[in-house]
Amino acid sequence: MVATRIAGMTPMPDLFAVAADALNALTGQEARLYEPLLAALPVDGASVSTFGDILAAETISASDAQSFRLDELQFDLGEGPCWDALQTAAPVLEPDIRKRPNRTWPAFSEAILADDLGAVFAFPLILGPLRIGAIDLYTNRPYRLSSQSVQQISSLATVVSRLVLSRAIRLSHTEIENETDSATRQKFSRREIHQATGMVLAQLRIPAADALLVMQGHAFAAGRSMAEIAAEIIDRRLSFAVIESQIEGSHD
Amino acid sequence: MIDGTREDRLIDTFATLADTLVADYDVVDLLQTLVESCTDLFDIAAAGILLADADGELEVVASTSEASRLVEVMQLSARAGPCVECFVTGAVVSLTDVEESPPAWQRFRDSAREQGFAAVFAIPLRLRETTIGALNLLSNVPGALRQQDVRASQALADVATIGILQERTLRESMSVREQLTNALTSRVVIEQAKGVLAHSRGVSMEEAFTLLRTYARANRLLLSSVAQGLVEQTLVI
Repeated sequence: MVATRIAGMTPMPDLFAVAADALNALTGQEARLYEPLLAALPVDGASVSTFGDILAAETISASDAQSFRLDELQFDLGEGPCWDALQTAAPVLEPDIRKRPNRTWPAFSEAILADDLGAVFAFPLILGPLRIGAIDLYTNRPYRLSSQSVQQISSLATVVSRLVLSRAIRLSHTEIENETDSATRQKFSRREIHQATGMVLAQLRIPAADALLVMQGHAFAAGRSMAEIAAEIIDRRLSFAVIESQIEGSHD
Repeated sequence: MIDGTREDRLIDTFATLADTLVADYDVVDLLQTLVESCTDLFDIAAAGILLADADGELEVVASTSEASRLVEVMQLSARAGPCVECFVTGAVVSLTDVEESPPAWQRFRDSAREQGFAAVFAIPLRLRETTIGALNLLSNVPGALRQQDVRASQALADVATIGILQERTLRESMSVREQLTNALTSRVVIEQAKGVLAHSRGVSMEEAFTLLRTYARANRLLLSSVAQGLVEQTLVI
């Protein structure tokens, strides 16, 4: 279904719609998330990683050794574009990273001096109040992304955020569902989970499915059961707010 | 005997339900009307309808109060209590004294006692050989339902069954299973919509449900459409 839409005179926005579909089709095969990104974007390498407050630092998907190395370097050094992107909740764009290094990452800038790199871009993975990770992209030659591309990659990042968070929750499924007081309790609490989902989707103005993911992500991070989280939301002891983008991370 | 006024009310109830069934209607709203009628018609304190989901687990789809304690006692009854027995046997179960519950029903008994329920009656929602759920009547005083009330409540349960299974048949052909799933799914969206209103209007879940239903009626909209609009954030009330 995807191939037919790529062929021929498909206009640019459709290319991104195709990429979004292709990303969604990779549920359960998240190691391949780089494939649609690489196909749709004017870059030479792409990676998806998790780090930050709730998920362990891990490269989920990398197109090549260079992409993997960029992630690993940043994890090891604790600095670099992906950290800034997640911190500021905004893309970090470095069109010519070796000739015009970013002074806020001295160790990272030095570490990549010998690498064959032109531009480096990092897009945050954020869902509602949850900081999940980043997409890192690189090119071999200096390159400047158009503002339209930045916008489109940001929407792809939202798709990737859902997939990556779902993956983490899926992998920890036994832990989360471990609340089983009894099946009845689950049935009963499910009603409260639906109510809490409604409250969260109204707080964050996001779709119901995303609100549920946010609650699951929060439960996962806090090591609590969904029933407990739902009860706290309904009792108004817990509420969520969207992370606002702080600064433009571009370095032009 | 059903006295005159009660007979009138019974006729009114069936007339209302029949009117609903010939028009475009919302299954959760219909079931809600039905359980509320039960408290008017019979000497009971609360009523609820539970339907079996795809796994055969019973879930509350309508109840006279949205209070979580009432929902809980009915869910416990559906786990080990009169409700599940009724569902499994397809026959009316009369627990005329909650204190005489068998030991296996202890959690249900404790919860019922805590809520002040002394007697519980479960009436099957039957379609030919299949039982799709149960109507639960909860009374504050011990004792059996009157024979006429048992017949009337079975008739109401049958109307509920027809309502659930008929809802979509005019528009599309769906299996019994799909229709049940549909009723339960629309309950999920209603719960989510209650959450939306609880947040946006700063009200309790019970008040949120009343708001939802009042708005749907005043605007002649289906309860589920209003709920859907709230959840998709295309409607603000």
